[in-house]
Amino acid sequence: MEVQGLQMTEPKTAPGLFKRNPPIAGEAEAIERAKAGDAEAFSKLYALHKRRVYTLCLRMLGNVSEAEDMTQEAFLHLFRKIGSFRGESAFSTWLHRLTVNLVLMHLRKKGLQLVSLEETINPSEEDSPKRDFGSRDTQLAGSVDRVALERAVASLPPGYRMVFVLHDVEGFEHNEIAVMLECSTGNSKSQLHKARLKLRELLRQAEATPQADLKEAAL
Amino acid sequence: MTLRNSNHPKPLSCAEFQEQLPDLFAAGVNGYIEDPDLREHLKTCENCSALIRDLQYIADQAKQLLQPTHEPSDNVWKKIQEGLASDSSYAAKPNDK
Repeated sequence: MEVQGLQMTEPKTAPGLFKRNPPIAGEAEAIERAKAGDAEAFSKLYALHKRRVYTLCLRMLGNVSEAEDMTQEAFLHLFRKIGSFRGESAFSTWLHRLTVNLVLMHLRKKGLQLVSLEETINPSEEDSPKRDFGSRDTQLAGSVDRVALERAVASLPPGYRMVFVLHDVEGFEHNEIAVMLECSTGNSKSQLHKARLKLRELLRQAEATPQADLKEAAL
Repeated sequence: MTLRNSNHPKPLSCAEFQEQLPDLFAAGVNGYIEDPDLREHLKTCENCSALIRDLQYIADQAKQLLQPTHEPSDNVWKKIQEGLASDSSYAAKPNDK
């Protein structure tokens, strides 16, 4: 499959790339063995990366069944193309980029989701987080725990969530996200900012009413 | 870092300041802000200072807390093995995990 963005070319090595995704013990050897068709090595690579790939899919898609399907696709694609991995970037960076591209292609293939994705990347002003110009703002009071943050992220509109997960969780740069999402770098920065503003609003609501339904609050 | 024309005759409003935030964060909000108007606004506006602290906190927490904690079902690996077994480009026969 030679769809644009899915070709197994490696991104240019950037400073911090290996820092973001440091090599895992035993991974390099497993990669080399997998390139030679060693089934045990495939199994090891799957065991090492399944959580990260599946979590990425789940956060991007918000749906367990689709996330599992895309995890399966990502690893099948990986195993077929692993021979083209040259080690110029961290293996996990390469794998995550492949996964993101597959998920985005999946969303685009679904037709309506493609339109929806573009719409949510460019939401109307009504959907945008409201700024509290001139009024006293309430700062986040306490520490945010993982569950609250995960719930808030899941409640974000898809376009906001996509950019937030790619940038703040996965560590992609705005220029990389712009290429993946086929939008401008400025758009990526803007969507990320709006996503964080929305998260702040959701987390403040959760602090005020711990039992609040964040999904409802996101609407 | 200069993000806009700093020949601004009067102090920035919160709206004007916040319009600069996407670029400010992208450039690294913890770094030195070159634009004197932006610096001045940040020094005197508690609302915008709190906003920046919160947004930075959220970004930092996302990096720290949102680790890959979810696990796919065993069925996923089973299907991958089936897919590999039926793939002619895959030379070896995959064993059980």
